[in-house]
Amino acid sequence: MTSCFHCNELVVTGDQFTTTINGHAQPMCCPGCQAVSQAIIDAGLTSYYQFRSEPGNRQTALVPEQLTQYSAYDLPEVQQDFVHKQGNVDTTSLSIDGITCAACAWLIEHKLKPVQGIDKVLVNSTTQRALVSWNNDTIKLSEILQLISQIGYQAAPYQVDEQEKQSKADSRKFLLRLGLAGFATMQVMMFALALYTGYFTELDIEFRDYFRWVSLIFAAPVVLYSAQPFYFSAMRSLLSGKLNMDVSVSIAIGGAFIASCVATIQGNGEVYFESVSMFTFFLLLGRYFEQTARQKASVSSSNLHKLIPLTAHLLKDGQVTEIAAKQLRINDIILVKPGEVIAADAVVVSGKSSINEAMLTGEQMPITKQIHDNVYAGTINVEQPLQAKVTALGQDQLVAEIIRLQELASNNKPTIALVADRLARYFSATILSIALVTYIVWSFISPEDAFWVTLSVLVATCPCALALATPTAVTCATAIFTKLGIITRKAGVFEKLTQIDHVVFDKTGTLTCGHLTIGDINIEQPYSQQQVLAIAAAIEQGSLHPIAQAFKPFFDNRYVVTDIQHHVGQGIEGIIDRQKVKVGKLSFVLPEHSEPSRQHHSQHIYMSIDNKLVAQIEMLDQVRLDVKDTIAKLSGANIGLSIASGDSSGHVEYLAQKLGIKDVHSGLSPQGKLSLINRLQQAKKVAMFGDGINDAPVLAGANLSVAMGSGSAIAKNSADLILLGDHLSRFNDAISVAKQAQNIIHQNLLWAFAYNVIILPLAVTGHVAPYIAAIGMSVSSLIVVSNSLRLLRIKL
Amino acid sequence: MSIIYVLIPIAMLFVLIAVAIFFWAVKSEQFDDLDRQSVSILFDEEAKPSVTDSQTETKSEQQL
Repeated sequence: MTSCFHCNELVVTGDQFTTTINGHAQPMCCPGCQAVSQAIIDAGLTSYYQFRSEPGNRQTALVPEQLTQYSAYDLPEVQQDFVHKQGNVDTTSLSIDGITCAACAWLIEHKLKPVQGIDKVLVNSTTQRALVSWNNDTIKLSEILQLISQIGYQAAPYQVDEQEKQSKADSRKFLLRLGLAGFATMQVMMFALALYTGYFTELDIEFRDYFRWVSLIFAAPVVLYSAQPFYFSAMRSLLSGKLNMDVSVSIAIGGAFIASCVATIQGNGEVYFESVSMFTFFLLLGRYFEQTARQKASVSSSNLHKLIPLTAHLLKDGQVTEIAAKQLRINDIILVKPGEVIAADAVVVSGKSSINEAMLTGEQMPITKQIHDNVYAGTINVEQPLQAKVTALGQDQLVAEIIRLQELASNNKPTIALVADRLARYFSATILSIALVTYIVWSFISPEDAFWVTLSVLVATCPCALALATPTAVTCATAIFTKLGIITRKAGVFEKLTQIDHVVFDKTGTLTCGHLTIGDINIEQPYSQQQVLAIAAAIEQGSLHPIAQAFKPFFDNRYVVTDIQHHVGQGIEGIIDRQKVKVGKLSFVLPEHSEPSRQHHSQHIYMSIDNKLVAQIEMLDQVRLDVKDTIAKLSGANIGLSIASGDSSGHVEYLAQKLGIKDVHSGLSPQGKLSLINRLQQAKKVAMFGDGINDAPVLAGANLSVAMGSGSAIAKNSADLILLGDHLSRFNDAISVAKQAQNIIHQNLLWAFAYNVIILPLAVTGHVAPYIAAIGMSVSSLIVVSNSLRLLRIKL
Repeated sequence: MSIIYVLIPIAMLFVLIAVAIFFWAVKSEQFDDLDRQSVSILFDEEAKPSVTDSQTETKSEQQL
């Protein structure tokens, strides 16, 4: 078997598709890859194939219909949300799907740069985004998007996560603080070494004080600038009447620095500049890890929030104009063409068509709508043009209702107190009281040492290792998750994952792929299966019905169809070779037959040629490949399983039986799903899997929620975890990684505590010299960091 | 030993310069895309030959 030169998938079509690259005909798996590679070669960008380190994206990946229609991005009302205008130069940031390595970034830049009207292109392969500036007189945004899609990437403006705006600025500040602390700590350590030698050999007072002053100069920016986040966090927590780790951290840093300054000026006592600097540096390192992990997560979740402009065709005085959905008024008449998303809740005033309401109900098969029926914003018209009168806008729409339900649910979400936070509270309280007791006791024994001993207690017990224990492990685990294609969107996911004991699945799009494929085929002689499928594909080629999509791969341009007629909710007919071909329901294909009434777990469509039945084709919503495996492993781990589906057909029961899930709930409304979860939550910690808008409230309400990468933006918005690539089995991997991370965190905490328990009595009795405190602290921090790094070597 | 009164301030000056460069680098987004920039030098060199390749191709086509 050869594999596709562009995407590395197996080529099953022989040498039907090839592209000539550097004089060799290279095999391609599909027309998509062929077109893309041809576009790359034509643009003179052959080096892409030389330098890429990852294969390209398979081009047949289903792109939502809305994304292929770029013209709506040119409307000024749509652009005002994401385009920055300056004179006639527009600038915007686009999220680009399909960037696999640095070569992709190079490819996109070089494809766009020579284009007239484009001022600047900067592609960032880490965030998978491009910053594009263009001259709006010469080129339109839709044309730019089109150009990018020609070479196989899907670009779209995105909604910047609130979290991301915050965290980008934070990350940069953190890097500055960390870098400064790093530079300064190195210097201070160098002088500290000189001062340490003073303990063993004679060091002139003159030089000692000189080194102390130099250390003070280097430590000052660390304490005054780099350590600021700790002070703010400590103040915040004190104001809210709580103690956190940062309170004892701030007291230690502030106390040690001030005491060391006093000692330097007076030329007596001890200086702790190196401890303070190193301590700040290590703590910042932990925070920085945490920050970058959070930053990465918020960037990828922003990227998933594509801004798809919702436009409507307004029908006024016999004229059709395309306007942005937000300009619609109640009682406006809109024209909804096949394939379009309905822009507002409306009532049909003319026409008859099927509407795909999967996003609201989870039910996949389109529902036939005619005059006086209600249609809802966000649903998709499948067959015929419709005219509808707008009845509700904005907050009054059915979708808004679901969003409200989601917000309500997320406010009632059960919270998990993180172990580290709880520990920090007790720890800080204990250390502070021990320090206080030490001071009081020592002021009776020898008042002049009391301050220094108390200080060494605070420095020696500084919860550096403790503060690093969780963030380093979480960072490593997050890195593995990213490699696995799992995005963690919220903090505390690792802790939650290990506690889950019940999993609820949505059906369509989660357990199943969410699109129909062809199952068993019964064929009458003399036709072959290939012929039948090719004829069906030819007939269905213009249709947007989910059934038609299943035939797409079998399209063969040898069959030419004329006179195609769509019959809403029935089927399609057309003429091939002067023969009348009908594809659809049995009652449509052969009028003398009536539709078999028995409830079947699957659906059949029929084909007739010149009123003679030719084939019966079973349509299946294929179960995801790894579902069985995933479910077996989950139940093996004693995790309860349920299905909660909005679909009311018999397919849910059939699927549950096939997969061995006993607890099945079908035909549930979003509200119904939420109350099911709430009921389960009384006894268990529940994880919910979902992908649709109708799953959003229940995802927001579950202890842990998992959205599929292909799911709707609103579902992903309420999820804790997002599975990219839609591999369910990754969830099992996620659990095992989380368990190991949990182990590592416990080991780290144990070590940090053990260290503190050993050093505390020594410090309290005044036996810890400053260099011992500093060395002990760094060694324990290093042990914690390297223990966390072991996570990266996990084999799954 | 008194030479350290001169040498240490010089060392401090170097550190100051290093910190200033680091701050400049962070602020001018040098650290924003670490995956890409490490290899970008390879691409740009190869871009020209491939462009000239296609140019010479079109030229030879014109000659034909």
